[in-house]
Amino acid sequence: MWWKILSVFLIVYTLIAGTLVPLKPGITYVQPASAPAGKVLTLQLHGYNSFYTKSPESEIRTWLQFDEQHAIQGERIRVLNDTTLEAQFSIPSALPNSSSSVMLNAIIDHPNDGVSLLPSAVEIAQDTFSSAAAWKADVIQGLHVIKDFSYPYRNVIYESIRNTYFHVPMWFVLMFLFIASAWNSVQFLRYSNPSQAAKLDASKGQSLIDFDRKASAYAEAGLLFGILGLVTGMLWAHYAWGAAWSNDIKQLMTAVALLIYLAYFILRRSFDEPEKGARLAAVYNIFAFASLVPLLYIVPRMFASLHPGATGNPAFGSEDLDNTMRMVFYPAIIGWTLMGFWLAQLRFRYQRILDRATGLD
Amino acid sequence: MLLTLLRKELLLEFRQRYAISGIVLYVFSMVFVVYAASIKVQPQVWNILFWLIVLFASINAVVKSFVQESGNRQLYYYQLADPAMLLLAKIIYNTLLLLVLSLLAFGTYSVVAGNPVKDIPLFALILLLGSLGFSIAFTFIASIAAKANNSATLMAILSFPVIMPILLTLVRLSAIALRLIQDTSYKRDILNLLAIDAILITLTFVLFPFVWRD
Repeated sequence: MWWKILSVFLIVYTLIAGTLVPLKPGITYVQPASAPAGKVLTLQLHGYNSFYTKSPESEIRTWLQFDEQHAIQGERIRVLNDTTLEAQFSIPSALPNSSSSVMLNAIIDHPNDGVSLLPSAVEIAQDTFSSAAAWKADVIQGLHVIKDFSYPYRNVIYESIRNTYFHVPMWFVLMFLFIASAWNSVQFLRYSNPSQAAKLDASKGQSLIDFDRKASAYAEAGLLFGILGLVTGMLWAHYAWGAAWSNDIKQLMTAVALLIYLAYFILRRSFDEPEKGARLAAVYNIFAFASLVPLLYIVPRMFASLHPGATGNPAFGSEDLDNTMRMVFYPAIIGWTLMGFWLAQLRFRYQRILDRATGLD
Repeated sequence: MLLTLLRKELLLEFRQRYAISGIVLYVFSMVFVVYAASIKVQPQVWNILFWLIVLFASINAVVKSFVQESGNRQLYYYQLADPAMLLLAKIIYNTLLLLVLSLLAFGTYSVVAGNPVKDIPLFALILLLGSLGFSIAFTFIASIAAKANNSATLMAILSFPVIMPILLTLVRLSAIALRLIQDTSYKRDILNLLAIDAILITLTFVLFPFVWRD
């Protein structure tokens, strides 16, 4: 009982915290996006979720950064409004490396908003390379790190970072449910042996066919979470990758994995005698689970993927989560998992009642 | 015991020559259909079409493993021999059959669509590994599907998702043999394939006792 309440509580918490907590301030874009070297560049920086007017202009600092050692500080900072800031940069005539153009990151340090960064914000073009000395002058230090309850601002994904609490936990739940399904199939086969079947305690409500019903119920719930995971993933892909379905190896393999369980349901219902169907379906469930693991965890590593971590490691990287996100992400996993098991339990009970009513039990 | 069972499978095949002839003809027909559908076959497409031909031919070759003999005769075999041995004999026999079929497919396909394979020894190894993997998965699924009435449909829907990891690894490995992708660490893929095969064959032996009993 308590875990059902916990599940509802955690999911409500995930929904509220996941949708309402704001993003940290960030920089969406700068104008102009490219400039020649050796001139004074007047740059407009456009913020997101920012409150530039909350601090005096003299305390706001901004840089155009090439790498850890090379940056130039902006001067004459003017705050136009909460989301627009203007600064002048004297770009040295020589670039820090010999290529014909370099991409610079824009950094804003604001006492109230904290630090925000836009990678590769401005492109600076040059004619000749002479020295990097002019770039060493302005050291970035004394940044204001604001610790508040907000999610990191990431370019490309922006607000869709919230999908982390809905898309990613689906795969955890799917795996837990399919493991539970396979485990019940193992139990079914174990107790289908007449000498073992005697050990089942009927007074405790244990019966052989229940293992089959449970295996099927867990697989059904797992399938539902798989479909939800695919749909949330497609929504996310629509905004982050530009297309809902881009034949990413993980998308394909997940679709194939769901086919396994659809085949399992068909096999289970293909026999006239329920016991035979239950036995063969249990066998297939265990066999298919063994190929589900390479399907979801080994094969995607051999192909290029758009997922974070990409080739070599499609797993969810620990650097993708900050502490605020952890405070929602882990409860979300627990909440969705409990919800998944609750759903499966209801399916199982419903099926048992239905079978009793129709005289199949 | 195993040899006797293998001989039985071979004899059975030899006596019902129409079955094996049918499969061979099936391979030929598919090669020509593929060739007629796409006259100029690029190496990339060659690779994928080749494995599709082998996949479908393999399913059709293996599906009869358990249905060609009646249930009563099967029961008789199980009294005489260890069911696990019977299954092992079928897996070994099907591996050989699929190897012959895929070599045949490779031969005819090379004649009509050209042979873009650069690394023949690696490709031969891939064909062997492919036959082994297909044989293990399909033979076991065939034993399940044979218990149902609509076994041909069930065979396809049960085996396609299960064979996917093996098939994708094979396509990738043969792309390396065709020099479509450069990858010096393909030995790890071969190990992956062997690991999947090992898991499947272990499970096959653990689970088969639950399948054959009625």
